[in-house]
Amino acid sequence: MAAAALHAWLALQSGPRTLRAFCTSVSPASSPAKRSPRTANRTSRYERPLRRKALPPRTEKMAVDQDWPSVYPVAAPFKPSAVPLPIRMGYPVKRGVPMAKEGNLELLKIPNFLHLTPVAIKKHCEALKDFCTEWPAALDSDEKCEKHFPIEIDTMDYVSAGPSIRNPRARVVTLRVKLSNLNLDDHAKKKLIKLVGERYCKTTDILTIRTDRCPLKRQNYDYAMYLLTVLYHESWKTEEWEKDKTEADMEEYVWNNSSSEKNILETLLQMKAAEKNLEVNKEELLGTKEVEEYKKSVVSLKNEGDNENTLSRYKESVKKLLNLM
Amino acid sequence: HPAVVPSGLLLGRRCRGQGREGTLAWVGGHAESRPLSAPRTGLLGVRVGKGDKSVTYEEAHGPRYIAHHKGRLSLHTGNLYGEDHAAEQMVEDVFLQKFMLGTFPVCLSDPRILKRRAHQLEVSALVLRQLPAHKFHLLVGYSETLLSPCYKRPVCLHLQTVPSKVVGSLYK
Repeated sequence: MAAAALHAWLALQSGPRTLRAFCTSVSPASSPAKRSPRTANRTSRYERPLRRKALPPRTEKMAVDQDWPSVYPVAAPFKPSAVPLPIRMGYPVKRGVPMAKEGNLELLKIPNFLHLTPVAIKKHCEALKDFCTEWPAALDSDEKCEKHFPIEIDTMDYVSAGPSIRNPRARVVTLRVKLSNLNLDDHAKKKLIKLVGERYCKTTDILTIRTDRCPLKRQNYDYAMYLLTVLYHESWKTEEWEKDKTEADMEEYVWNNSSSEKNILETLLQMKAAEKNLEVNKEELLGTKEVEEYKKSVVSLKNEGDNENTLSRYKESVKKLLNLM
Repeated sequence: HPAVVPSGLLLGRRCRGQGREGTLAWVGGHAESRPLSAPRTGLLGVRVGKGDKSVTYEEAHGPRYIAHHKGRLSLHTGNLYGEDHAAEQMVEDVFLQKFMLGTFPVCLSDPRILKRRAHQLEVSALVLRQLPAHKFHLLVGYSETLLSPCYKRPVCLHLQTVPSKVVGSLYK
């Protein structure tokens, strides 16, 4: 094989010399091309008289204050002839040292960040500044941001190292909006909450719509905005069948026309009848301060649940109402 | 079946492929084809000898030393939780190792290192200086031009030449 190579070399020799201009010994100062074989003291089995001289590694010509980002402008594999550091890597044998950097496969395996020195990153940032715009000065607090941009859209992009740059998980779009920012009256708000169900969080008053049924992110975003629009308009409408809303459908306890109201009215009427005071008015009875307090305590008990405050309030109001104090 | 490693940002592959006649044993990154009935010698590293064998670092340490003394030969994200295309990348790895072995018959016994950066493939290899430079250039250009449209992604070849086989361990 070497003989054939020699013949081929001689044959090429007679041809134009431009082909080998880049790797002759005439210009030892020129560094090898980016992807040419790394050389250091090239030896050959045959001492050919016109043999290319060995090219010394580029590290020997490197100045201490050279521009390193031009040596490694992009992510590239580790080139021992271009990195002027005496790096060793490998598990050493007994009474030995780790292997040198020349021909070290371990150094090739690991990802290197030689293209991301602080100087290089600064240069990147300087170059990127031209494409940046400043944050609008008027939006200097979270409240202002929320006031002017109440709808928040969350999307995720995925980067991976593989055969395809597409990732099906990137199509998910999440839309978040606070219901207080929407123009809803009481009925509309209740209807909207009933329509969305689990997507509404009571503590934070945030409606979250997560769409992923369309194949593209853009489509999912449009669908989420469409859903929001439809919900808003539908909640403002009142359908006929909404009149059939029963007490079981109510979201919170409402005093008017409740059984508690009827019960207290009956009790009071009985009390007044026992006192032989028949000239009483229902509205008057219900309008007294004690009944108001009782009403408030019952409402808070039903809506907030049982805790010390509500129970004690209920106790006080009942005592006052029944004149037990 | 492939071994899935949970941690780490960049992970590689290590698996045993099952074939009918020729088993492609993929041991510690050292791919070789041998019949199923062949004795499975040398798969766990090199046996301790009198110090007369010169082996590369890669050969000296068996597959049990991956992630301890050795790095991984193939880096991609296919093995991370929730990521796809792990099998495709493994098949690509196997093919590329074989392809490089055939294209550069003067390669060392060291396997080639495959790195994927976004969807770009970078193959790094250590080669001996058996061929003149222009032949290397031709082979590099040929491989890249052949593989890039084959995989529909940029394929880069990075060769590092060494004067002779780099001996990693003398005590074997």
